[in-house]
Amino acid sequence: MTITPVNLSSTVADDEPPVSLWRDAWHRLLRNKLAVAGLAVVILLAFVAVFGPWLTPYDFLTQDLEARNQAPSLAHLFGTDDLGRDVFSRVVYGTRTAFVVAIVVTTIAVAIGVTLGAMAGFFGGLFDRIVMWFTDMTMSVPNLLLVVVINASLKTPITAWMEARYQATLNPFYRETIWVDFLLVFGSMALISWPPYARLVRAQVLSIRGRPYVTAARALGLTNRLILMRYIVPNAIGPLIVSVSAGLGTAMVLESAFSFLGVGVNPPTPSWGNMISDGLRVWQHYPHLLAAPAAVLGLATVAFSFLGDGLNDALNPRGSK
Amino acid sequence: MTAPEIQKPLLDVRGLTIEIETRRGPAIIVDGINLTVGKGETVGVVGESGCGKSLTMLSLVRLLPNKIKVKGGTAEFAGRDLLKMSKSELRQVRGGKIGFVFQDPMTSLNPVMRIGDQLCEPLIYHRNMSKADAGKRAIELLRLVGIPGPEQRITAYPHELSGGMRQRVMIAMGLACDPELLIADEPTTALDVTIQAQIVDLVKDLRKKLNMSVVWITHDLALIAGLVDRVAVLYAGTVVEDAPVGELFARPTHPYTRGLLASIPKLSDERASRLSSIGGTPPEPGRRPKGCPFAPRCALAESICHERVPVLEPVAGHSGHRVACFVAQRQLKEAA
Amino acid sequence: MAAEPLIKVENLVKHFVVRLGAFGERGATVYAVDDVNFDIFAGETLSLVGESGCGKSTTGFTLLNLQKATSGKVIFQGENIVSLNEKRMRPYRRELQIVFQDPYSTLNPRMTIGEVVGEPILFHKLATKAELPEKVTRLLADVGLPARFASRYPHELSGGQRQRVAIARALACQPKFIVCDEAISALDVSVQAQIINLLLDLQEKYGLTYLFIAHDLAVVRHISDRVGVMYLGRLAELATREQLFSNPLHPYTRALLSAVPEADPELEKTRQRQILVGDVPSPLAPPAGCRFHTRCPIAMDKCRAVVPEWREVETGHHVACHAVEMETAG
Repeated sequence: MTITPVNLSSTVADDEPPVSLWRDAWHRLLRNKLAVAGLAVVILLAFVAVFGPWLTPYDFLTQDLEARNQAPSLAHLFGTDDLGRDVFSRVVYGTRTAFVVAIVVTTIAVAIGVTLGAMAGFFGGLFDRIVMWFTDMTMSVPNLLLVVVINASLKTPITAWMEARYQATLNPFYRETIWVDFLLVFGSMALISWPPYARLVRAQVLSIRGRPYVTAARALGLTNRLILMRYIVPNAIGPLIVSVSAGLGTAMVLESAFSFLGVGVNPPTPSWGNMISDGLRVWQHYPHLLAAPAAVLGLATVAFSFLGDGLNDALNPRGSK
Repeated sequence: MTAPEIQKPLLDVRGLTIEIETRRGPAIIVDGINLTVGKGETVGVVGESGCGKSLTMLSLVRLLPNKIKVKGGTAEFAGRDLLKMSKSELRQVRGGKIGFVFQDPMTSLNPVMRIGDQLCEPLIYHRNMSKADAGKRAIELLRLVGIPGPEQRITAYPHELSGGMRQRVMIAMGLACDPELLIADEPTTALDVTIQAQIVDLVKDLRKKLNMSVVWITHDLALIAGLVDRVAVLYAGTVVEDAPVGELFARPTHPYTRGLLASIPKLSDERASRLSSIGGTPPEPGRRPKGCPFAPRCALAESICHERVPVLEPVAGHSGHRVACFVAQRQLKEAA
Repeated sequence: MAAEPLIKVENLVKHFVVRLGAFGERGATVYAVDDVNFDIFAGETLSLVGESGCGKSTTGFTLLNLQKATSGKVIFQGENIVSLNEKRMRPYRRELQIVFQDPYSTLNPRMTIGEVVGEPILFHKLATKAELPEKVTRLLADVGLPARFASRYPHELSGGQRQRVAIARALACQPKFIVCDEAISALDVSVQAQIINLLLDLQEKYGLTYLFIAHDLAVVRHISDRVGVMYLGRLAELATREQLFSNPLHPYTRALLSAVPEADPELEKTRQRQILVGDVPSPLAPPAGCRFHTRCPIAMDKCRAVVPEWREVETGHHVACHAVEMETAG
């Protein structure tokens, strides 16, 4: 018996290296100018967030009461605020706050969303229905209202409890009220951010679960864990990356909105949100106090959104037509 | 049928060339196709996926997808070049003088419109019919394509009909304005054999009744054997052979046509005997070989085949039979 | 044929429950496979044909326990495999494989061809990691692909090449039995012939048994030893290739055969066709009695009321039809 060798020259050239879908997507992303610009801004902001404190000319807390509310100048690029603090340094430090909040919140939300969504989609049945019920319920509550309620009702008791612990143990850890802020901000933001991820992943898993290659894997006798890890998750991850990129931008806006409402990161820690909030009160006299943080927040959001769109086109090439 | 070669053909496509935008730059997918369809003639256009058979037809009414463009050639329909018509003239042709039937009736019908309304639309637009007249004509058309109870069916939505019924509605839409030419793009591929037989019989019957020309695009040589007058075999965007149907099946001349015919299992085959098959796969756009596009897969290929592109030339002694192959032409001359 | 069958399918039933209405408040049953009986013998090719929705693919899936059977048995190596849970099924999975229709979704787009073919080998411990590359090369050679394809990704291959990879993946488990679920239907004519030849070669080389699910009767006639015809979830007729194509008994089989076009214009001109009227009824509400009676040219009153019995009218030729029963009895 002989099996005729196939003439393959017409489809695969021998000299071309194999191209994985990831590499293919990366090349497509690099050809998208807006996405590259977005990526560049995101990288720049991330760099600023990490190395900011070493880059700024002033400490973000140092008050110079001699130089209050100064307009932008060479000494103070973005001017100074009502306590004479350097706005540029505060915006730079605010970048760090924004990134920490965005990354921590998105990580928690993605972890919850992916776990619940993937399991709901894969196992289906009652578990699926309960998860979806929770998702819908969370999504139906107005976000800001939920966060305000959580903060208003939990902040006082937790702070009181920490004070009591300090009195009892004299451990200085309990004096750091910043942790209460972070816990409440991160916690409540993650609580409202996970449902879209859960829905997305569940929909992905549902559609992938029915594909022949998954059935083929079942026919090969592979375990559920292997099928989930090697067949379903890698194929579901593309849309998730897109959604995470957009989600990071949204989280930054959300954090600013909360700070603006006074339920976010508290002063004196600089965040774009509380700077905008402060700036708004005096914007007619000192517009730079509002403009600087607002512009950077806008830049960050637009950058993440361009990057997300670019990733979407790169990872789902058929959808872009 | 009437002798089409005496009259001027209804559709005369010459040197049609179509390009696609790929990652590696523009690539030719239809390379100088010549094709004629006489009045009242039924022509089968046969080829495998990607050979350009559907694109050729779509380009005639300029319905090509985005990254695909016509680069050259002419397409005369009733004496006018379709490729140079103004948009308003073209709209009169689309759905008016040329009717289309597509492969997938589920996605080609608008799911949120009643089929009666979808049938009436071209009538009102092309024929300036009143709504009432168009409604009457729609019922007539549904009866013509063999849909039982057309008076009730015109209020149905596409999802309420079976696949075969939907394809009949598609054909009714193609026929709505009494087209001179019906282009059917794999109209039975998505259907079951017993339904396919129904549709084939329907088109045969309608063609006689309405005296129209039909272009039937398909990958299934067996299907068109009893259906068409003439066959054009496409490979990688060129017509490699063009002959009356009886002639083509009796004397397939191009190695590709021969290979295709030989790869169809026949009644007389012994069980599990090896089918003769053509090795390899058709070239992708952008990877077309320099000479004859079939040369890399051809058992008869000689050095000239890899260098130059053969053109469609008449087969001596057989009227209406043309083939584009250096080797076959030489062998025919030697035999004569 | 007298030998003990490799797989015995007894009264296999598969019903799906679908939810209808905006809140899924109404349930409906799809009678996908109803009371199907047949044997599959070692080394043969048994084909199941029928139109879309007739339950031929569901039969294949249920038989492999990829969908849970509603009732009935599939006996393989003395065990009723459709009653097994996934864990107890695992050892049998290696021996029972499947090849799907759509070459574009049959391979995991994130895995290289080498990983696709190598995975079952490692999972079932049929070779060590060190032996793997050689094993993969041999499997690819078996399906006519060069070794360098191991590092390629599915999207770089043509449809026919992907289908070869899917066959290599099935072969990697060293199976006894492969379900080919419309495995060549999506391919171009010239490529179809290549894959048919490949399947025939592999059958000869490894003594494989095929359940070939298809709708193209010309192909089925070419490769099958025996053919079963299904209509709306039930078997209408089952016979050897010769019996079925030269002496079809069931009126549905006759209509199906007469609808198949032949690549011969002269024959087509003179051929008498028996064209069925109407469409296949919905499997949600199959007709009572014989399910074919709504389209059958010779239906009698009895056909509308009584389900015809599945009978062997001559050696190896089974049919379920009242008319045939009367003929053979009288």
